[in-house]
Amino acid sequence: MSLADAAASKTTSAIRLDGVEKRFGDHLVLKRISLEVQPGQVVALIGPSGAGKSTLLRCINLLERPTAGTITVDGVTVHADHEIKERDLAALRSRVGMVFQSFNLFPHMTALRNITLPQQRVLGRSKAEAEARARALLSRVGLADKADQYPARCSGGQQQRIAIARALALDPKVMLFDEPTSALDPEVGLEVLKVMRELADEGMTMAVVTHEMQFARDVSDHLVVMGDGDIIEEGDPHQIFADPQQARTRQFLRAVLDRE
Amino acid sequence: MTGIWQDFVTHQGQLIDGLIVSLQLAGLTLLFGLPGGLILAIAGTSRTRLTRYVAIALTEIGRGTPALVMLQLVYNGIPVTLSGLLSAGIALALTTAAYTSEIMRGGLQAVPEGEIEAASALGMSRWDTLRDVVIPQGLRIALPSLMSFSVIMFQATSLAFTIAVPELMSQAKSIANSNFHYFNLFIIAAVMYAAITISASAFTDRVERRLSRHV
Ligand SMILES: Nc1ncnc2c1ncn2[C@@H]1O[C@H](COP(=O)(O)OP(=O)(O)O)[C@@H](O)[C@H]1O
Ligand SMILES: [Mg+2]
Repeated sequence: MSLADAAASKTTSAIRLDGVEKRFGDHLVLKRISLEVQPGQVVALIGPSGAGKSTLLRCINLLERPTAGTITVDGVTVHADHEIKERDLAALRSRVGMVFQSFNLFPHMTALRNITLPQQRVLGRSKAEAEARARALLSRVGLADKADQYPARCSGGQQQRIAIARALALDPKVMLFDEPTSALDPEVGLEVLKVMRELADEGMTMAVVTHEMQFARDVSDHLVVMGDGDIIEEGDPHQIFADPQQARTRQFLRAVLDRE
Repeated sequence: MTGIWQDFVTHQGQLIDGLIVSLQLAGLTLLFGLPGGLILAIAGTSRTRLTRYVAIALTEIGRGTPALVMLQLVYNGIPVTLSGLLSAGIALALTTAAYTSEIMRGGLQAVPEGEIEAASALGMSRWDTLRDVVIPQGLRIALPSLMSFSVIMFQATSLAFTIAVPELMSQAKSIANSNFHYFNLFIIAAVMYAAITISASAFTDRVERRLSRHV
């Protein structure tokens, strides 16, 4: 999405969650969370393990079905208490790209095929069209020479960048990242963070669950601190890092920053 | 020893014809049995309960019925009269489908959940995910076991002599019935079966080694 498009749709949020609740059996994992992400905004989600960050992210593209609440992405709305129509599910997923901690590339396909296949299946693009787009994206993430490699022959950082290219190839309105660098060595993680930072600079709307406090502070526009299935605190990242309002935020930040 | 060789040379035409029928029957069995197994395996993981139950029931019946009983059932038991070869092919294909569906289901389930989630997140349909992501990898995982099972089914084609299919076993028996060299002819048949089986197993080992090299 170009910046002009982003400005044009300023009036509607890119992602809007209203009272999103998720239970696994009688375990309440998300407690009626409401959150808005504006077009072009980069939201970082931080918080201790088990806080519900991944579950929240996975509710946005309905990998998890919320048990209550409403989710709107780029004008497509899904209510938890109505049956979700195949068509709405497809519409919603076509607007949302997701990058996982464990990359989840298809190991039996080359990097190029990983990126062209979803374009052909989901958007009905021709092979030539899909390949042109895939090659352009591979060069953008610095991997033009890896097109014909299988994932197993690529480093973790390269695999994650291929996964980002695979998601971007479908022209999503929103990108979700679930700890994209947690499985990587720190120096390799930097390659991935650089790509994400460029994406943010180009105006992509992003929701990023991360343990990289530097990324959360310096790249995101909005910081959400989660704990126990709830939002503890949210706001300007620099402000929260400098002066957290909640004791639990302070405690969490002290613990992670000490570790670094 | 020379007697055995002598019998082979004298009757080689008939014996080789028998072996060719055995191979044709094995081909027919696998041609229908393996896709049948895949369909049962996929149906067994269906989200629709009825489909799942039907697949599981067919699998259990197919596995629970000895191949010899299946053979008699198809040849004599059903009102339609089919040729011996076709009956044997159908019966052995049913057995193959039932057994290989278990092998294939194991392979399909071994495909990491994360890849299936990634496909869903990309917006790929369930069917495309199955076709492009799950089946190619699942079958690859199952391939060595499928090949070993195919070798066993090749040996099981010898059961078709009970319904007068002119395969290797029945040719050997009919020659022996006329010259009374039962021992010689069954040794010859055994060696001919073994020749195919052993080369198929060697091929399986090669494939297995190649596959493991790439993963
Ligand atoms: N599929 C599931 N079934 C049951 N419980 C789950 C499932 N997924 C997550 N949970 C639980 O939900 C809570 C939040 O998990 P998660 O969203 O992964 O947290 P985070 O990403 O913040 O570490 C945890 O207590 C976890 O055990
Ligand atoms: Mg998580």
